[in-house]
Amino acid sequence: MNRRLPPAFALMALPLLAILVLGFLPLMVVVVWSVWTWDPLTYWIRPDFNLGSYAAILEAGRWMVIVSTLGKALLTALICLLIGWPTAYAVHFLAGRRLSLILLALMTVPFFTSYLIRSFSWRLVLGRTGVVNDLLIHLGLLSAPLDWLLFSNFAVLVGLVASCLPFATFPLLLSMRRVDPVLLVAAEDLGAGFWTRLSTIVVPLTMPGIFAGFLFVFVMVVGSSTEVQMLGGAGASIVSVMINDVMRVANYPLAFAISSVVLLVIFSVVLAGNARFGLARLFGEGQS
Amino acid sequence: MTGDRHSASAAASNFKRRQLLQLMAGGGAAFSMAGLGAMPRAMAQSPASVAFWATATLDIGEKWAQFASQVGVAPEFTDNGNDVGPVLARLAAGNANELFDVGGFQGGAEKEMARQGVIIPWDLSKIPNYESIWQWAKDIPYLRQNGKQYSIPTVVNADSIIYRPDKLGKVDSYGVIFDKKLKGRVAMEDAWINSAIFTAMYLKESENKPIKDPGNLSESELGLVMEFLIKHKKDGQFRTFWNGWEQGVQLVADQEVDAMTGWEPIVYEGRKRGLQVEYAAPVEGYEGWGNNTVLLKGAGDRGVTDAAHTFVNGLLAGLYGCELGKSRGYLVPTDNNVAYAKKNPSEYKPEEVQALGDHVKAKFAGKVYWQNCRPDNFQLYEEWWQKLRNA
Repeated sequence: MNRRLPPAFALMALPLLAILVLGFLPLMVVVVWSVWTWDPLTYWIRPDFNLGSYAAILEAGRWMVIVSTLGKALLTALICLLIGWPTAYAVHFLAGRRLSLILLALMTVPFFTSYLIRSFSWRLVLGRTGVVNDLLIHLGLLSAPLDWLLFSNFAVLVGLVASCLPFATFPLLLSMRRVDPVLLVAAEDLGAGFWTRLSTIVVPLTMPGIFAGFLFVFVMVVGSSTEVQMLGGAGASIVSVMINDVMRVANYPLAFAISSVVLLVIFSVVLAGNARFGLARLFGEGQS
Repeated sequence: MTGDRHSASAAASNFKRRQLLQLMAGGGAAFSMAGLGAMPRAMAQSPASVAFWATATLDIGEKWAQFASQVGVAPEFTDNGNDVGPVLARLAAGNANELFDVGGFQGGAEKEMARQGVIIPWDLSKIPNYESIWQWAKDIPYLRQNGKQYSIPTVVNADSIIYRPDKLGKVDSYGVIFDKKLKGRVAMEDAWINSAIFTAMYLKESENKPIKDPGNLSESELGLVMEFLIKHKKDGQFRTFWNGWEQGVQLVADQEVDAMTGWEPIVYEGRKRGLQVEYAAPVEGYEGWGNNTVLLKGAGDRGVTDAAHTFVNGLLAGLYGCELGKSRGYLVPTDNNVAYAKKNPSEYKPEEVQALGDHVKAKFAGKVYWQNCRPDNFQLYEEWWQKLRNA
């Protein structure tokens, strides 16, 4: 066993180094710079310890943007799971091999174009003269277009869910492949109905996939900006937009402080979720 | 001897820099030219070059080759992203002065750049075409600092309100943006650099509020302006704050708004799509903006200031103005454009060049407040903008 350690270590060294240099180091730089001081003379930061940037998060409603971003991320992730789980179930358990392949391919179609175009196209669908309003008016259900369909939180959610849905669906599919069909047949033989099999076997066994899907969507939304800028109301904001605003006036420590707070939240979610649901099980380890 | 050594060292430094830029931006093209055996000849005959770091819309693409043959200086154009915050940071704390000789920036940051020492003054005696610049453009408040000429007005225009006369009749005031009858049918830009000055102009001129310079608001003036905007935002006045060309056009073309502050080319695009759209001449005045050309300190360090002066003189010589007017509707504020078009009628229509100049001149004949991308309280502007976003 010990003799195999050196080659294993050698193989691990490169990815470990990559993670440290490309992932961990920049994050540490962000955290350290967040407590340095911006110097208007040099237009850069100097290493004077200062927590002023963290205090500034509590001003001008910046903390509200962080909270509302996390709220949007949570809601989008939950909606994606609500849509993605039955979709993944249908693709894996109900559709035949050919149909499931077609459905999977269809899920990737939106990614053939840029995220900018995808978001922009929702303006043409949800706008005053857009497809939805036109249809409702044509059917006689409305006499005037609905304004809240576009430039609203509703529109932002629609855009975010449309963008993120496949990122929830694919981990769910992966987790469903780990459900042994023999278990379901056995449960059925023992008299368990559809909902019982679902709630006692499928859902618990797909929990790592549910959490992975949740995490992917959550993180994507926290880092997004296009949907909010294209579909949100006047001055709608999200963390990335706020960081851009702050960078525009060269307030780097504040931008890094906001990033650090968001990083802390995301790491906490990952660690808590992993401890509870075991992400590793998604890839075959610790299968119950 | 010293001079020769300096020149040789500057040339070597310049060559390394250009090599780097070529590798980054045009390596493929360089290789293909070399493959055709064209490189050695091109290098032997090539004019002096200047690295021009400017807003993307100032690029005239393939026309730079014609410009180089006329002026004797070949610009190497690099987009600076237009946002003056990162531009300033890269100049002050980054490598921009290592890479670029001349900058084309939104007006207003000259004071800050001169204070930082990242730009150096122009020598107007080496820019004979400067005399041809229209006086009101020479009077842009940001061009001179401490009695020295730090920037040259290269592109100018003035913005106001885009509106639909079929819905609103004739509009001649920014008051339309804050009119309660138009609740949810108006928009402004998602940038304090424009929306704060438009609002300040309205409050100063039509509401007689105590505002001295709408382009450079004091702390109390800024509070007054932003509280006014916040109140209207809370009341649901604005349909959205828009961002970028496509979004601006879409708001008008899809009838999302009846009036919005914005850029005149959006009016032309709306008309192309068959809409009745007009550009207002507000009683409060226009928001004038200039994209000014500055000489970067690095050009001085490398000894390429003569080439930089020749380049800027070339920008004012006519070809650049005609091409920029034709491709983007932008104006270089000099009569040299019309003179050039008259000499080259097959290339540019003199009457069109004249019409563009007259149109912009007419705007500047009235009241104009200059856009300022770096007001004294710029970090406070951002703080207030956050409050507005979260209101």
